[in-house]
Amino acid sequence: MKIVAKSIEMIAWFTRDGIPNPIRFRIIEEDKTLKVINVDKIIFREKEKIAGCPAILFNCQSNINKTEKLYQLKYEIDTCKWILFKI
Amino acid sequence: MESERIIFHIDANSAFLSWEAAYRLNQGEKIDLRTIPSVVGGDPKTRHGIVLAKSIPAKAYKIKTGESLFAAAQKCPNLTIVPPSYDLYLKCSNAMVDILKRYSPSVQRFSIDECFLDYTGKTLCKKSPFNKACEIKDAIKKELGFTVNIGISNNKLLAKVASDFKKPDMVHTLFPEELKKKMWPLPVEDLFMVGRATKPKLNRMGIFTIGDLANFDLDILKFKFKKPGLLIWEYANGMENSKVSPDSSVGMKGIGNSTTISFDVEDRKTAHLILFSLVETVGMRLRASNNLCSLVSVSIKSNKFSSSSKQRKLYFSTDSTNAIGEISCQLFDELWNGDPIRHIGVSVSSLSSNQRNQLSFFYPGDIEKDERLNRAVDDIREKYGKNSLVRSSFLHSGLKPLNGGSGSDSYPVMSSFL
Repeated sequence: MKIVAKSIEMIAWFTRDGIPNPIRFRIIEEDKTLKVINVDKIIFREKEKIAGCPAILFNCQSNINKTEKLYQLKYEIDTCKWILFKI
Repeated sequence: MESERIIFHIDANSAFLSWEAAYRLNQGEKIDLRTIPSVVGGDPKTRHGIVLAKSIPAKAYKIKTGESLFAAAQKCPNLTIVPPSYDLYLKCSNAMVDILKRYSPSVQRFSIDECFLDYTGKTLCKKSPFNKACEIKDAIKKELGFTVNIGISNNKLLAKVASDFKKPDMVHTLFPEELKKKMWPLPVEDLFMVGRATKPKLNRMGIFTIGDLANFDLDILKFKFKKPGLLIWEYANGMENSKVSPDSSVGMKGIGNSTTISFDVEDRKTAHLILFSLVETVGMRLRASNNLCSLVSVSIKSNKFSSSSKQRKLYFSTDSTNAIGEISCQLFDELWNGDPIRHIGVSVSSLSSNQRNQLSFFYPGDIEKDERLNRAVDDIREKYGKNSLVRSSFLHSGLKPLNGGSGSDSYPVMSSFL
């Protein structure tokens, strides 16, 4: 996986305890087209606090262009932004 | 009987820079600022700005903290300059303190990037203090993405000296028995409280290392330096006994703001406007702290870097922007010799509580009316933003109506008290 750190549009659901679960996100490709990706599987979730900024990392897997791909999503708690961090 | 204390001093390595670097890497930036010549500070486009922190590669170009960005860029043409973001640094600092509090309840935040931690009485744990310090250092590195140095000793002073030994990402000890070997060979200016003013005086007395100072005749030092002479002699001998106090706030003695102007000020009117822009923020801070002042002081620095200042004791106590402003303008007029000005500062002191106040015949104007005006101005600014209400004299002047302050009120600035 390589770091891309792109902000994305996200649909997610939150548990009663406040844990977010990503469902589907939309990304702007380099040729300015939009691409929607379903989050098929969340492999694991972990908290991080690099440089004092709390975030939740999701290691996920999806079928993108007919290949199974692993990638990492990040939810920044302070800014409420979703980021496709690594793919 | 008091058992031997164990004190850690935790110091973030080139704090602002490594925090900035960790944050940027986490935002997907490819280059680690710590691995290239880079500095944090100011705005590279305007003349405003000094080096606040530098990377270790930038150190190789002899760039010093505190010098102007212009001078730094001359030493290293491909220098990367990034502007500071204090909110981020405060977050990093808080996150570091949070981690430290896992290890001991008594953590003293000495400045934004330095903490003392009292580890006394926990030596019954399986791990030695040294191993524990390594654990803390690694936890900070892993969780927060930046490195720290930790110094271990029996008191705060020696711990602080130890954390300064070899950087980055190291743990050092400096117990009293190691004093002769580890601290005494160091140059005397490395000692806490020996600065650039004391160093040449000590050098002239033949004192070049901390060891020289420690073995010097105390009576001569006391005669030359008075009380601080005793202090630095004690420090050189590793004597220091203050507590790690979680609440390290030292009583405030004064409030002041200053600004370096991006052009040379040559006329009285502009200078008065800048004075008022500073007084505006000083007044707001003074009222927010529920204090009154009875001493106003103005300082100016000319474009040839010669500084001068003048202060006046008032016959009354006040927190009024107008009153402080008028006095500072008078002081300025008495002080200024006509040289172009680069830097202006205003500060107030002799603070007293605003709970009760002796009214005075000498107060210029109506004190109650003034109070109501100031309260209204503060309320409006709090509700609608700092620049919602400004003096009309600033219109079309191109000057900022409120000046000074980095927003650093929320974290402690390092003091000379351990």
